[in-house]
Amino acid sequence: MQVRRTLGVDTGGTFTDLVEIDSQGRLRFDKAFSTPAAPEQGILNALAALAQSAGIDVETLLAQTERFAHGTTVSTNALIQRRGARVGLIATAGFEDTLIIARGPVGRAGGLPQSKAMDFLHTEPPPPLVPKTMVRGVTERVVAEGTVLVALNEIEARAAIMDLVAAGAESLAVCLLWSFRNPIHERRMREIAAAVAPKLPISLSCEIAPRMGEFERTVTTVVNAFIGPVTERYIGSLQSELAKRGLTRPVQVMKSSGSVMLPEAVAHQAVAVVNSGPIGGLVAARHIGAALGYGKIITADMGGTSFDVGLIVDGVFEEEASPFLDQGLPVHVPTVKVVTIGAGGGSIAWSDGYRLQVGPQSAGAEPGPACYGRGGAEPTVADALVVLGIIDPTTFFGGRYRLDPQKAHDAIATRIAALLGLDPLNAAAGIYEVVTAKMADLIRKVTVESGHDPREFCLLSYGGAGGAHCVDFAAQLGIRRVIVPYAAPVFSALGVALSDIAYRHVRSAPALLEGPTAVATANAVFAELSERAQADMRASGIDPGVVTMRYGFEMRYVGQMNEIPLAWPSGRIAAADLVAMRTAFETLYQQRYGAGTFRRETPLEIISFRAEAVAETAKPRFSALFEGKRPVAAPPRQRKVYMRKSGWIDTAVYAYDALMPERPFHGPAIVERESTTVWLPPGARATLDVYGNLAIEPGQ
Amino acid sequence: MTTSAQPPLEVDPITFEVIKHRLWQINDEQSIAIRTISSSPIVVEGNDFNVGLFSEDGQVTTAGIGSLVHVGTIGDALRSIMRGAGSIRDGDIFLTNDPFLGALHQNDVVLASPLFYGGDIMMWVGNVLHHPDVGGIDEGSFCINARNLYQDPPRYFFKLVDEGELLPELEHTFVTNSRLPDMVALDLRAQIGAINAAKKRLIPLLDERGAPMVRAVMRQSLDLTERRLRDCIRRLPHGSWTGEAWMDGDRVGSERLHRVVVTLKREGDTLHFDFTGSSPQVDAAVNCTYHATVAGAAVPIYTFICQGDIDWNDGVKRCLKVTAPAGTVVNASFPAPVSICTIGFRWLVTVAASQAVAKMLDASADFRDRVCSSWSVSANCNNLFGTTADGKRVGALLSDHRGGGAAARSFADGFSHSGQTTSFSASMANVESQEWKLPLLYLYRKQLPDSGGAGRWRGGLTATVALTPIGVPEMVLKSTNTAGTEQSNAHGIDGGYPGAGSQVRLLRGTDIWKELEQGRVPRTDAEFGGTVEHLPSKASDVLKRGDVLAFFAPGGGGFGDPLDREPARVAHDVTHGWVSRERARDNYSVALKADGSVDDAATTALRDQTRGARKQRPTARWRSDDRCEYPAADTNANGKSAAPWRAAENLNLAADGILHCRRCGEALSGPNGRVAVTERPLAVASPWMALRHRGDGPNFTLQETSCPSCATLFEVRETRRNCAKD
Repeated sequence: MQVRRTLGVDTGGTFTDLVEIDSQGRLRFDKAFSTPAAPEQGILNALAALAQSAGIDVETLLAQTERFAHGTTVSTNALIQRRGARVGLIATAGFEDTLIIARGPVGRAGGLPQSKAMDFLHTEPPPPLVPKTMVRGVTERVVAEGTVLVALNEIEARAAIMDLVAAGAESLAVCLLWSFRNPIHERRMREIAAAVAPKLPISLSCEIAPRMGEFERTVTTVVNAFIGPVTERYIGSLQSELAKRGLTRPVQVMKSSGSVMLPEAVAHQAVAVVNSGPIGGLVAARHIGAALGYGKIITADMGGTSFDVGLIVDGVFEEEASPFLDQGLPVHVPTVKVVTIGAGGGSIAWSDGYRLQVGPQSAGAEPGPACYGRGGAEPTVADALVVLGIIDPTTFFGGRYRLDPQKAHDAIATRIAALLGLDPLNAAAGIYEVVTAKMADLIRKVTVESGHDPREFCLLSYGGAGGAHCVDFAAQLGIRRVIVPYAAPVFSALGVALSDIAYRHVRSAPALLEGPTAVATANAVFAELSERAQADMRASGIDPGVVTMRYGFEMRYVGQMNEIPLAWPSGRIAAADLVAMRTAFETLYQQRYGAGTFRRETPLEIISFRAEAVAETAKPRFSALFEGKRPVAAPPRQRKVYMRKSGWIDTAVYAYDALMPERPFHGPAIVERESTTVWLPPGARATLDVYGNLAIEPGQ
Repeated sequence: MTTSAQPPLEVDPITFEVIKHRLWQINDEQSIAIRTISSSPIVVEGNDFNVGLFSEDGQVTTAGIGSLVHVGTIGDALRSIMRGAGSIRDGDIFLTNDPFLGALHQNDVVLASPLFYGGDIMMWVGNVLHHPDVGGIDEGSFCINARNLYQDPPRYFFKLVDEGELLPELEHTFVTNSRLPDMVALDLRAQIGAINAAKKRLIPLLDERGAPMVRAVMRQSLDLTERRLRDCIRRLPHGSWTGEAWMDGDRVGSERLHRVVVTLKREGDTLHFDFTGSSPQVDAAVNCTYHATVAGAAVPIYTFICQGDIDWNDGVKRCLKVTAPAGTVVNASFPAPVSICTIGFRWLVTVAASQAVAKMLDASADFRDRVCSSWSVSANCNNLFGTTADGKRVGALLSDHRGGGAAARSFADGFSHSGQTTSFSASMANVESQEWKLPLLYLYRKQLPDSGGAGRWRGGLTATVALTPIGVPEMVLKSTNTAGTEQSNAHGIDGGYPGAGSQVRLLRGTDIWKELEQGRVPRTDAEFGGTVEHLPSKASDVLKRGDVLAFFAPGGGGFGDPLDREPARVAHDVTHGWVSRERARDNYSVALKADGSVDDAATTALRDQTRGARKQRPTARWRSDDRCEYPAADTNANGKSAAPWRAAENLNLAADGILHCRRCGEALSGPNGRVAVTERPLAVASPWMALRHRGDGPNFTLQETSCPSCATLFEVRETRRNCAKD
C-alpha cells in the first residue's frame, strides 16, 4: 500500500518545526534552525533532516505527502518590522485622518501591557502603516441605514488612485464609511482601480472586515493591503520550491482562527495569517485532549519570553472578535483567544529594594540568562531554576549547553538577595514563587472571566520553560490533571498538521432582536455569508460534498459595546426562534457575569452574523509508541531541590527517554527531556502513557 | 536604586508580591465585569469608572486603572458610608452619589459592600461609575443652568442590596429619575455584578492565606506606595512652583472669569499643593469639593511620578498636603451646586497642578524626562438629546473631546489625540458607532492643523469634528466646555507656546442639505454657508435641521523656544499638514521652498530677524512666582552649591541665587538682572485661539519673556490683561 503522509511545518523565531504523520498514525518530528531571510530554506532543512531519519529522500517524502500545512511568521514579521507594501489608502472625504487619530489613545496605548500604557510620557505611538501623505479622500457618503446620501464622485476617485500610484503605492486599501451596510461605492472603487491601475492589488473593507467601526475596519484593510503582497509572494515561492522537489499538493496556510486556507485565498485574507503562531498549539491540544477524553482544556505555553494561555471547552476555542495585532492595531478578525503575559524562562527578576518583581522584560536569547555565560548580568527565571536544583546545568538541552551555576547564583545574590536582605537561595525560591503565582493568576483570570472553574479543566503544558512550573500552579488552582504531551517540542507544528480547512465570513447587520427586520435580515445575511464561504471552498478546489456549514451571531443589549457570540444550528431563523435566542443569550450572560445581571426589559440587538464553511481534514489515530518495545527503565538519579516551605529535598531525576510507560512515580521528582524539564513537587504523581504523554496529578 | 538592604517589612517580599498580585487581579475582574455589562459609552469608551478594594477602615488599598480622579475620592465616599450607615450586614451594598459625601459629582455613583469573613468585616469592595443621566435640570446632568444645589441632580445615600436582596423600590427610585433609565439600570447591574464577582474570588484567597495575612498585605501596599513615593520626592529640588488655570464662563448666560491658582512646595518628603488665591465659589455647578480638589491635584503625581510603577492607592495621599480655603471654587461649601465639578474646577485643579508639577520636574536633575506642562486641559463635553421619529428618547455625551492633544516633552513632541491623563484608555467612539446610536451625520472628523503649541518640541494636535442632526427635526445641545474659548490654558513651558483653545461653534441655517443633494460634502465653514456663532464655555441650545455643530478640544503646549526647532522637523510637519506654511514662517521662522523643503538661507535670515526683533523689546526686572532652591544634596557646608543648578531648560541658578541665561550667561534676576518682556495677541500662539474675539480677547494677552542679550525665549504665558498680579 502506498504510504500517505501529512506534513505540518511551523516556522518560529528560532526553530522551524516539522511534524509528519503517516497513514498508520505514526508520528515523527524534527527541527531545523529558522532562516528568517529566506524561511523556505529552514523548511527544506527540516524536511531533509526528517527524511533522513525516516530513511527516505526528500523527493519521496514530498511525493507521498497528501497534505502540507504551514504556519508562517512571514506576515507577522512584515507587520511588526514594517516591511510590507507601500499602501495607498482611500477614505470617505472628511475622514482621511481616521487611521492617525486612531480613536485617541487607542493608537498609542491599545494592545500594550498596562505598565507600559501607563508610562504616559515614554510610550511612543507605533510608526504608521500608511503615512498621512498616502491617504486620499473621495466625496461619497452612505448613512447608517445603508442608503446612499452622496453618490461617489468618480472623477475624484480616479484622480485619487492615479495620484497614489504616482506617489508610489504598491497596494491599495479602500475603507469608506458604512460600506459594510452598502458596499456599492467600495465595489465601484475596485472597478475604477481596475481600469486605471489594473495590476495594483486592492483590499476593500467591505470584503476584508465588513463590521461596524471604521477605525478597526480601516486598520484591518490596511494591514491586509500591507502584508498581502509579501505573504502571497512568500507562499508562491515556497509552493514552487516544494513542487520542484515533488510536492503535488497545495500549501495550506495557518490562520489565527485555528484553521487553514488554500493559496487562492491568501491575497484577500492575508491579515488572518498574522499572529497565527500560538494558535497551532491550541489545535493540537484540542485533538490530544479529546483523544484522552478531556472536554475542558487549558493550554499553557511557556517559552523564553512569554506565557500564553488558551481555553478549549467541548472542542470550541474561546474567541476574540477584535484583537490587537500589535500596539495600536486592533483588527476585526475573529481570532482564537490566547492571553499572554511577559513571564518566560528568560524573564528578568528585579528589585528596587522593596519588592521582588519578575518580568515583563526578558533577557531574550542574547545575552540570555546569567547562567548562559554570554554576558547576561540580570538574574532570570532560568537562573533561579539552576540555583534551586530544578535545572541541571550539565544536562540542559541534552547537555549541548553547559550552564554556569555560579553566574546564576551571583546574579541573584547581588541584584535581588542583597537588596531585599534575603539569602540567595531564598531569593531564588522567591523568583520561582512570584512568577509561578503570576501564571496561576493569569489562568484564574482567563477561566473565571468566561464563567468557568479551573478545577474542572485539564491543563496541557508545552513550550520549553513550562515544565518547571506547570504542576505547581496547577496545584494552586486545584487542577486535577496536567498533561505534558509527547509532541510538546513541536506542538504548534502538530496543530498545523491537524487543522481543518475553513473559511469564515462575518458581517455587521445590526437589527433589534424583537424588531420587525430581525428575521428577514438574519436569513438574508446568513444566505449571503454562506454563499461567500462556499465560494471560497470552490475556489480552493474543495469538493462541496465534504463541506459543512456553521452559523452564529453576536448579540448584546442595546447600547452595549461588547457582544456575546452564540452558535446557531442552521442558517435560517424563524420568528418562533426569537424567544430561544433571548434565552440562550441570557443563559450565557448569567454564566459569565453572575446571576441577576441580565435584564428582561432591555431590548437586545443582533450586531453581526457569521457563516463558516469547514472541510474537515483526515485526523490520524495516533499509534502507540511503546507497544511491543517498551524501553528499559533506568534507575533514577538523585539530586536536591530547594523550595521555601520544604528546604532542600531529595529528588529522583528521571530521563524521559528511559521512563517505563504506565508505571506511576511520585514527586518530588524531575523528568528531564532534551527540550524541557518537568518538576513534580512532593504530592504529585505522574505516569507516562503509551503515546508518550506524561500525565500528572498535581496533588493537594 | 538603593544599594543597602531596607529594614524588613512585616510580610516577606515574596509572599507580599504573590498576594498583592492576586488582589490586583481580583479587583481587575470588577473592571472587566463593568465594561462588559454596561451599555453606556461613557463607561465602555470613556472608561469613566473605577474599582477598588479597601481596608476595613476605608483606605483604598488596590485601585483599578479606570478614571484616576475616582481613585482619590472613592475612599472618602466609602468612609462617609461607614459613618452614615444605619446597619452594616453581610451581603449589603450601599449606594451614594452625594458629592458632599465624597462622590466627585452626582453622576458618579458609588457602590460599596463589606466583605464579612469569620463574622467580621474583613475589608470592603466597591466601585464608582459615571451614569449618563441622573436627573437635574439639564440633559446629561452636567447642570449648566443650575444656580444652587437643589437645581442639581438629586443626591442619594441608601442601601441598594439588603443582605443579598436587591431592594426594587430603591432601584426604581434611582432609575426613574434618569432620562436614560435603560442605561442606568444596566449600569447598576454592572456595578452589583462587579462587586459580587470580586467577593466570590476573595473568599478562596482568604481561605488559603488567612485574613490576618491578607490584611497585612493590604496595609503594606499602602506603606509601600508611601515609601516609594517619598523616595522620589526626596530626589526633587527644593522650591515652590506655581500653576494657574482660568475658567471663562461658569453657567449659561454667565461669562464671569474665575481662576484656580496653586503653589506647589516641596516640604521635606511631602508635596504641598496650596490653592490659596483661587476664586470664591460661584452660583454655578462648576464648583469643586475639597475631596475632588485633592483627587485633581494628585493626578499629575500618579501619572508622571507613579506612572505604571508605584501602585495606585491611598498611600499616595499620605505624601500630599492640600490647602484649599473653604468657600472657594476649590473647596465649595454646602449648598453650592457641583454637578459639573469633575469637568469644571476639578479639571482646572488638575491643569494648574500639572503645570506646577511640570515646572518642578523641569528643575530636577533626575526627572526632566517627565516634564509635560499640559494634557487635554479642557473637557469639551457636548451632550445631545433628541426624540427619534418612532418616539424613542435618545441622548448621549459625545466622545470627540478625547481627541485633544498633550504638551510636548523635554525630549520629543507631544502626543496628538492623546486622550486624558485622568483616564488613559478613555477613547473616542467610532463615527459609525455614534451615528448608529444617535440621529447624527458627521461631516468630518480630522486633525486640526496648527493646534499644537509651537516650541523646540511641538505640542500635540487636537481633532475637530462637524456634525448635523439627521432624521429628526431637532436635537437639544448642552455644551459643557471646561474653558478655553478665550485663553486656552494649554500651557507650554520654557518658551513653548500654548496649544489651541477648546471651542464650540454653531453654524446656523447652513446649506448642508442642498450641498449634499448636489453631491458635495462641504469641508470649511465658508462652504457650509450659514451664520457662524462661537459659543461660550457653557451653552444650552437647539440644533435644528440644517444647523451644524463644530468643535474641538485643546491642543498641547510646546516645549522650549520654537527658534530652536530643527527646520527639517518643521518642514516634515508642513508636509504632513500638522503645521501650515504661514505658521512655519510666523511661529518657527522657517522658510520653505515651493517643494516643501527647507530654504536654509532664508530660514537663517528669518530667524536672525526674529531674534533681532526680540532684542529690541523693552526690558523689565525678572518677576516670577516660581522659586527653585538648591537641592539639599548639592548644598555644601556653607549652604551654597558650587556649581550652577539648571533650574529650567534655559535657566541656570547660580550660587548667589541669581538666575542666568543658560545660553549666554546673561544675569536675569537680582539687582542688575533684566529680561525682555512683551505682550502680544493670543492669536500669535495659534489660529485657534479666542475665535469669539477674532484672536485678541478682551481679558487675556500672551506675555513673552526672553533674554535681552541672546533673545532665547524663556516663557510664554497667557496673562490676565489689566490685572495686578497677585
